[in-house]
This record gives sequence, structure tokens and C-alpha cells, in this order.
Amino acid sequence: MHPLDLTVVELHQAYVDKKFTPYEVIKASLERAKANKDNAFECLLETQALEQAKALIDVEVDNVFWGVPFAIKDNFSTKGIETTAGSNILKGYVPLYDATVYQTLINRHAICIGKTTLDELAMGGTGMSGHKGVQYNPYDSTHTRQVGGSSSGSAIVVAAGIVPFSLGSDTGDSVRKPASYAGLVGYKPTWGTISRYGLFPFAPSLDHVGFFTRSVEDAKHLMLALEGEDEHDATSRSLEKTFSLKTQPKLAVLKPVLESMNDQTILNAFYANLDALKAKGFTVDVIDFSKPLLEAIYPTYMTISCAEATSNNANLDGIKFGPSSWGQSYQDVMMTARTEGFSELIKRRFVIGSFVLMKENQDVLFLRAQKIRSMIVEALHHVYQSYDFIYLPAAPTIAPKFTDSSDRLSSTYLIADSHLALGNFAGLPSITLPFGFKDGMPFGVNLMGRAHEDLQVFYTANLIETTTQLRNVVSGDKR
Amino acid sequence: MNFEAIIGLEIHVEMKTKTKMFSRAPVTYKAQPNTAVVPLDLGHPGTMPVVNKQAVMNAIRVCDALHLSIDRTLWFDRKNYFYADLPKGYQITQNFRPIGSNGSILLDVDGQPFNVGIERLHLEEDTAMQHHYEGYTLVDYNRAGIPLMEIVTRPDIRTGKQAAAFVNAIREIVSFSHVSDGKMEEGSLRCDVNISIRPYGTKTFGTKVEIKNLNSIANVEKAIEFESIRQEQLLISGQRVEQETRRFDEGKKETVLMRKKTDAVDYKYFVEPNITPIQLSESFIKETIQSGFELASLKRRRYIEVYQLSQYDATQLTEDVYVSEYFDSLCSLGQDYKLYANWLMSDIASYLNKVNQSIETFPISPSRFVDFIRLISQGKISNKQGKELFELMLTSIEEPLVLANQKNMLQISDPILIQAWIDDVLHANAQSIEDFKQGKDRAVGFLIGQILKKSGGKANPGLTNSLLMATLKTK
Repeated sequence: MHPLDLTVVELHQAYVDKKFTPYEVIKASLERAKANKDNAFECLLETQALEQAKALIDVEVDNVFWGVPFAIKDNFSTKGIETTAGSNILKGYVPLYDATVYQTLINRHAICIGKTTLDELAMGGTGMSGHKGVQYNPYDSTHTRQVGGSSSGSAIVVAAGIVPFSLGSDTGDSVRKPASYAGLVGYKPTWGTISRYGLFPFAPSLDHVGFFTRSVEDAKHLMLALEGEDEHDATSRSLEKTFSLKTQPKLAVLKPVLESMNDQTILNAFYANLDALKAKGFTVDVIDFSKPLLEAIYPTYMTISCAEATSNNANLDGIKFGPSSWGQSYQDVMMTARTEGFSELIKRRFVIGSFVLMKENQDVLFLRAQKIRSMIVEALHHVYQSYDFIYLPAAPTIAPKFTDSSDRLSSTYLIADSHLALGNFAGLPSITLPFGFKDGMPFGVNLMGRAHEDLQVFYTANLIETTTQLRNVVSGDKR
Repeated sequence: MNFEAIIGLEIHVEMKTKTKMFSRAPVTYKAQPNTAVVPLDLGHPGTMPVVNKQAVMNAIRVCDALHLSIDRTLWFDRKNYFYADLPKGYQITQNFRPIGSNGSILLDVDGQPFNVGIERLHLEEDTAMQHHYEGYTLVDYNRAGIPLMEIVTRPDIRTGKQAAAFVNAIREIVSFSHVSDGKMEEGSLRCDVNISIRPYGTKTFGTKVEIKNLNSIANVEKAIEFESIRQEQLLISGQRVEQETRRFDEGKKETVLMRKKTDAVDYKYFVEPNITPIQLSESFIKETIQSGFELASLKRRRYIEVYQLSQYDATQLTEDVYVSEYFDSLCSLGQDYKLYANWLMSDIASYLNKVNQSIETFPISPSRFVDFIRLISQGKISNKQGKELFELMLTSIEEPLVLANQKNMLQISDPILIQAWIDDVLHANAQSIEDFKQGKDRAVGFLIGQILKKSGGKANPGLTNSLLMATLKTK
């Protein structure tokens, strides 16, 4: 038994049983990290991690994160550790403070072994746009497939058995989509229940701290460790914990999403799973949902997220930190820093963002997108009046090849590839679970619950996990 | 042709809260550059704004003083633009829903009441301070994020004098509420003027000129006077008023062109996503207003009605919030109101002026000062001795009574003792008694002098005088 093939809870038990020491485990984790060829890391924190591991002697039996290695996406502020968010504009930037979630895990004696690669500034879903080049799916040793993004490195490190959990961020589906492509549990909580202080913002009204684990149980433990009100984040609040859990919940499957999918393997697996859940006493209904609203997800998401992104990243101007140059005027300094610092994809998003916010466009673009967002949220609330969950395949396909191109006006792209953003629009707790394999590549399913019912999501996801029998899947043991 | 000026003001008030509008960095005006900062003030990635409750309370109190209606939900917006002094690339402000709207204040200039409508009061954060040098610029972020409130009037002001009265009223409100120092000279109160002129009787507005960089209330008045004449002369000579921004040149006493107005900047406002709307409960608003400080206008009324001071005295004492608070402390400890007022306006004022200090650093505590004044009002020392003792108290921590004793100053008001001196002196100066009977008044002066001399200068002059007269009448 290799310690890194264990889940967090299993590794903790092994520590309690004195089968390993944190130092052995961290050393093994670093070895696997170095051997991995999928471009998962911005940087390894070898010295710091080994020192922290050495200091851990007596296991804390009530703390499952004691001595457990993890990795964190490089868009979380880590004091004294260069943090670039995958962008040249932050090259050499060393933060002055720790993100709340990072601090929490360090306080729990979890050990961070490295910072992971991402799409530049967490904007993107392919793992192809960061300044360190392309990230590869650990299930495909020929390096022809994406792992998805933007939390690409964080997905790789858990799937490849380098660490049992990692932190990412999820603005549209940046944790839950790569989780589907990498056979992982990917979670994003109710908006506001995990502090975002120290998460480099992409679009705050949609941004969530999220994470990857290899079991629902681990995800629940992580949520309970990270949730809570934070005085540094005025939007944060504690998780609701006092409601009675439903053992036989009602699931709604949105018909237009299934209709927009073409992959029969995934669809068949999904239908089979619905039967298994019904057998467990779940109510499962395939229901109608407005197709125009679903088709509006992607443009609405782009409009709102780009608008917020252009403002959030206006601080990156070459004046206070990051690469800077001399100029004749402050405009010169800013123009040079931003022209050289951002890739074309980012500039494209900023142009879109500025355009939709312009006075003459706000009404017809930005405010209309906000209105559509409200309509979508209202339609979701309507579903949740009769159902406890929305349950859908997390993605229409297995991880795409780098050479694949998607038709962004097809309903597959607009609906089946975009529906996870519903959870961001409404700030709902949403979990992706491994669900099946096709051509040796995993695919996932997604369960999205009512706001603040995160604990119900874990409870039900746990039951689903027992039907799929896909728990603690590591890329080494391909099916 | 006769013209009237149409004037609106935009006033920025810098607050003196303990911490900044959205961060925990201290608000300070004297610290070394870039020492009163936290990562948020420098726009570091991942930092998030947390609203300063005291700043909100300040805004509520000023809204109340200006009769503005207070929004029960607090919203913040982003104003997006790039500038060297703007660390985040946006300023958090309240564009769409200011905390206060639709107020007014009634003022008085030369006995003429006039009403100024107030469009809005909103909260926002200050920018960093730039220091320009030959070939480079340094930025001090200590100021970045200091809470500001912006007050925008309706175009109800017609003269420079009225504008000055309005700015002074705002200064009084914010300084007496302890919201701000309210000093234009130091930039804690800044005023931009929008001014256009039009012929009397017309309804349309002329082209608006903005005047910036005004550093005193007097200059607000002067700039407006100059600018309305400048615009008038342009129109009379057949030229047009250009839409532009001007500044007031203090040396030349005139407004000079800063820049022509091009198309307005598009600030791309949108709602700040990192601050969820904050509900202000009725009880919070009520308690905030009730626990606020007494405003200058109410203090003046109290000074006149309760302490029987003149309008002049009351006005003088409320020029400065700390002077009035010192006066209030005196009045809570003693009843010599008029004497307190006189001393504050004369001797204390000239002392502070001489040492260039404010009353906050005045070395004599209110309780010592009250004891001191009591020595005068009870006739234990003379006014003249009072001035001497006052000087001594400035550099001593001794109680005034002890000091007066040490300096052998205390007047003798014991009638038996004084009568004995009178009798001695009269006995030795029989000629003076005769002179008095002849009606020679200077004889009295001579006798008083002799008696005081005999007492070592300590006999109470008033008492001595009355006792002497009574004695002389019996001779």
C-alpha cells in the first residue's frame, strides 16, 4: 500500500496506526511530483514542506489533515512564495499575506508541497493558456488530451496520486469540469461559505474557492475545515448546519441538457445510474427547462465574468508590483506592463469586459446579462421548489484532445458544456463525481443542491458514490 | 445686461476615523510615507474590502444634519479608471445609490436667509498622494483608502458669499460631529465649484466652468467673484464661455485655465461584487443620530439661552470645535460663564496664537482653569493679578490657589483688617480728611493708595474703597 494512493481519511488512519510518518509521506509526495510529466506545478515547496513534516511528531487523532500533503492553485496568495496566477504580468510577484484557506490548512498541519499550474489568471477551461505552457491529462500518457481548466494543475496532482487533495477556484466550472476529465471529486460550495480572501479575483460574483479530492467523505471533511465567516471577506458566512438530511431525495434531470449531448456511452451510463438511484428510493424526474435560458448561459457568463475581470485586474498596472518599466508617463508604464504581461486571450476578455461596461453598451449588454442571470436563478429556484437536486452529466464528453475543436454555437457547447456555470450564477453547492470510463478516460456526473444545503449534497453524493463504485480513483489504475 | 451666477458645489470631506474606509490600516496624516498601509491599500491581488462602520455612522450623522433621506440599504459601486494614484484601478464609491439624498440646509448671509438644496451625500475612498519631482514621481499610499464623504449641492447658490457660508456650514457640521478636521488649508475638506452665468430672468443655464484647487473658504468666495465677472465680460464682449476646468491662482487672485473639457470619461460603473448590500436597521440609524455630537448651531443657541452670552460671544466660541468643547467643560465645572468666555476669546486665544498651538494642547486643564477663574470671581485676586497668575499657570502644574499663595497674591477681603489700616492711614493724614470735606476727590485716591501700600498691595480695592467712603462720611 502506497500512502499517496490513500484518501485523506485513510491516510489519517494510517498515521494513527503509525504506519507512516509525515516526513516519509511528504518525501514520497515530492518524488511523485518530480516524476510527473503533466506540467502540474508552478513551483514545488520542497524545503518548506520537509521542514514542516519533520516537526510533526505526535499525530492529532481528531485532525484528519495532520501531516497530509496538498497542493494549491497558483492564484492563492501565499506569503513569501512567488504567486503568478499563470500570468507574465505577475512574474516575480511575492505576496505579502496568506489566503485565509491556505492559512487554515497550515494551521491544521496539512503540508503544502507546491503551487499548481492554471489557465492564465484562471480565465480559461483548457489548461492551455498559462505562462508555463500546456497541462496534460494524467490518464493519457501520450499527452494528447487536456485535463481541463482552469484548475488544471490541481486536478493533475490529485488524479496522479501526488497528493490526496488540492485547492482550486471555480468561476464557471474551473474545478468541476476538470474533475470530470480527471476522475475526481470536484466541489464548489454555496457562494460565501468559504472565504475568498487571498484568492486572486476573476469575477467575484461568480468566484468560489473549490477543491479536488478522491472521495466524497474527504470533500466533506475539507468543506468543514474551510467553511466559516472570515473578517477579511465581507461576503463570507458560516455554513448552515442545522437541517435534517433527506435519505431519499428528489432529483431533477434537465431534459434539454441530455438532448444536447451526443455521447451515447456517457448517456447510457447516466440512464443506468438513474435506475440504480431509483432502486435506492430516490425520486428521479427528467423535467423540462427553458432551452433559451440554457443557451444563454455561455454568453451571459462571458459578459458578466469579462466585465468583472477587466475591473479586478486593473490593479495589475506595473506600478506597485510585478514586472515594471520606466516610462515617460504613468500611461507609458501601465501600457508597457499590460501589453507585455497579458496574453492575447486575456486581452480579448478585457476588451469584451470593457466593451460591455461602456455607458452606451451597459444597458443592452452588461445589464441585460445581469437580468438574464436573475431569470436563470429564478428558474433554478422554481426547480428547487419541487426537487432537492439537479443531477446531470458533468460534461458532454471525456477530456478533449488538444486538436479537437468545439463549435461554440452548437447546443452541445452552449448547454451540455456550459451548464455547470448554473451553480456559479446562483451560488449553489455543486459536486462532480467520477462516473465512468470511456477509452480509458474518466467522465463525471454532477449533483447541485440548494444554497446552504452543502451537507445534504455530501450526504446524497455519498449515496451516489456507492452506486458508481468509483471511489479513490488514481490515474495509475486505469480501467 | 445683468447676469446672475448659478453655482453648485462638490465637497469632499476626509474623515478622521481610526482605520480606513475598507481596510484596517490606520488613518494618519503625519506618518512616514507608505507606513500606514496594508496589502489592500496597495491593490494587492486577493484582498477584499470590509466596510468601516464608523465611517457609515459619520455619514448618517452628517446626512441627518443636512436633512438628507438615508438609504436603508448600503450599496457600493466601482468607478473604473486608470491613474497612477489609484491602486486598485477602480475606486469604491456609491454611484447608483448614495447613502443620503435630497436634503437641504437653511443659511443666512447678512441677515438674508437662503436655502441650499443638497442632491446627495455618498461614501467613497481617497486615492494615494503623488509627489512629483524632476523626471520621476513618488507615490505615498498612506492616504489611499481614507474614508471620504462627497456632498453635492443643487445649483442653488448665487454668490461667492453664499458659497462661502455653505462651505463654512459644512465645515462646522463635520468638525463638530468629529467626522473630520474640516480644514481646507490641509486638504481634509476640498471644494470644487461649478459656475455658469445667465441673464436675470432666463431659465436656461449657461456653459459651466469647474474651479478646482481651492484651499480656503475665503478663496472659494474670491474665485467665484472673479469667475462670474470673467464670464460676464466674455459674454458682454460677444465671446463664448468655454466648458473648462480652472484653478484659482492665489497670488494673482484670479482663475486660470487648467484644461479644456473634452468628452467626459466613461467610468464604467458597476455594483461592487465584494460587498453584499448592507441593511441599516431603523434602530441603528436612530441610535447613531441620537448618540451624535452637538452641532455648532445648537451650541450657539445653548450659550445664548442658558449661559446668557451674546450672539457675538457664542459665534466666537463655536469657531473651533475644541474651543467650544473646552468651554463646555468649564461650564460643567463652574458657573462663571461670561468670565470663561472672555478669557477664552482674549488671553487664551492670544496665548495659543503666540505659540501657534490649538486648544487641544493647551496646558491648563479645565478644572484648574475653573479654580483659577473662581479666584477672580470671588475677589481673592484682582484682574491684574489674574493675568500674572495665568502666565505662571502655563508653565506650572501647581493648583492656582497654591501658586497665588506662593506669589503672595491673594487679596485681603477681611473688613476688620482693612478697617484697621484705614483708621491708621486716616490718623496719619488729617489734612486729607479736610481736603475730602472740601470736595477734593483726589484726596480719596491718595488715601486708597496709602491703605493699599500699608496692606502690601493685598487689600481688596473694591472693599477698601467702600469702607473708606463710609468712614470718611462719619468724620
